[in-house]
Amino acid sequence: MSVRVVVRTVSELCVTVGTVIVLFVLYVLFWTGVKADTAMDDQIAQLERQWARDAAAAGSGGPGTAESPGAAPAKPAAYRDGKPFAVMYVPRLGFTWNKPVLEGTRTKTLKKGLGHYAGTARLGERGNFAVAGHRRTHGDPFKDFPRLRPGDRVVLTDGRTWFTYRIDTGPYRTVPSDTAVIDPVPEKSGYTREGRYLTLTTCEPEWGHSHRLIVWGHLDETQPVEAGKPEALRR
Amino acid sequence: MYGFIWRHLPGNVWIKALLSVVLVLAAVYVLFQYVFPWAEPLLPFNDVTVDDQ
Repeated sequence: MSVRVVVRTVSELCVTVGTVIVLFVLYVLFWTGVKADTAMDDQIAQLERQWARDAAAAGSGGPGTAESPGAAPAKPAAYRDGKPFAVMYVPRLGFTWNKPVLEGTRTKTLKKGLGHYAGTARLGERGNFAVAGHRRTHGDPFKDFPRLRPGDRVVLTDGRTWFTYRIDTGPYRTVPSDTAVIDPVPEKSGYTREGRYLTLTTCEPEWGHSHRLIVWGHLDETQPVEAGKPEALRR
Repeated sequence: MYGFIWRHLPGNVWIKALLSVVLVLAAVYVLFQYVFPWAEPLLPFNDVTVDDQ
C-alpha cells in the first residue's frame, strides 16, 4: 500500500470525525431544543385535552360534581410516571414562559418538560413539591434560573386549581449529592416548620454538572380555575 | 475510503452522485436518530437533579 493511500485514508477519516463532531454540536445545541419544544407543546396540549374532558365529565353531572357544595372534592388521580400533570408559569423567566411538569426525573422524562421528584409532595399539598429542569439543551427551560429572586411568583395549575408559590430563598448553590434540599422541610432554606413548599433544581454551572442551583418557595395562594388566572399572570 | 465507495457505486456519474447524497442523508439520519440520542446523556447537561448519586 502506498504512502499516498495511507495519507488519503487518514485525512478522510479526520474530515469524517470532524464532520460528525460538528453535527453532534448542532444536535446538542439546536436539535434537542427543537425536539423538546415540540414535545413540551405536545405535553401541554395533551393536558389541556384531558382537562377539557374532565370538565365535560364533571359538567354532565356525575357524582362529586362542582355543583354539589360542601362535598369533598374528588380525590385527584395519582401522578403516573413520565406523564404530565401540571403546567408551570414563571413570569420572571418570561411572560410567555410555560412548561409542562411531568412525574419523575428520568432522563427520558426531562426531555419532555420539567420533572417532579417522585416521592416528594404533590402539588399544593403539605411537604415539599420538588421539580427539576434542564438549564441548557432540551429547550433550555431553566436557562434564566439565576435571575429568580425572593418574591418572584411561580404559578402552577393542575387543571382545577391555580397554585401560586412565592420564592423565599434566592438561587442557592449546592453539590449534587445534597438531597436534603428536597426534604419536606429543607434545612438550608430557612424554613423551620412544616408547610407547603416548592423546590426547583437545575444544574450549575450553566454547561456543567459539578453543582446544582436551588430555589425554595412557599404556597402563597390558591384559587379555582373558574376564578380566572391568578394576578401574577395578568398583565 | 470515499474513492473506494465512489468506484463501487453503480451507474453513471449522475446516479453515483444521487446515491452519494442518499448515503450521506442516511448517515446523518442514523446519527441524529440513534447515535446522538445515545451519546448525549453522557454529556454533563443532563444532571439537573440532586438525587442521582
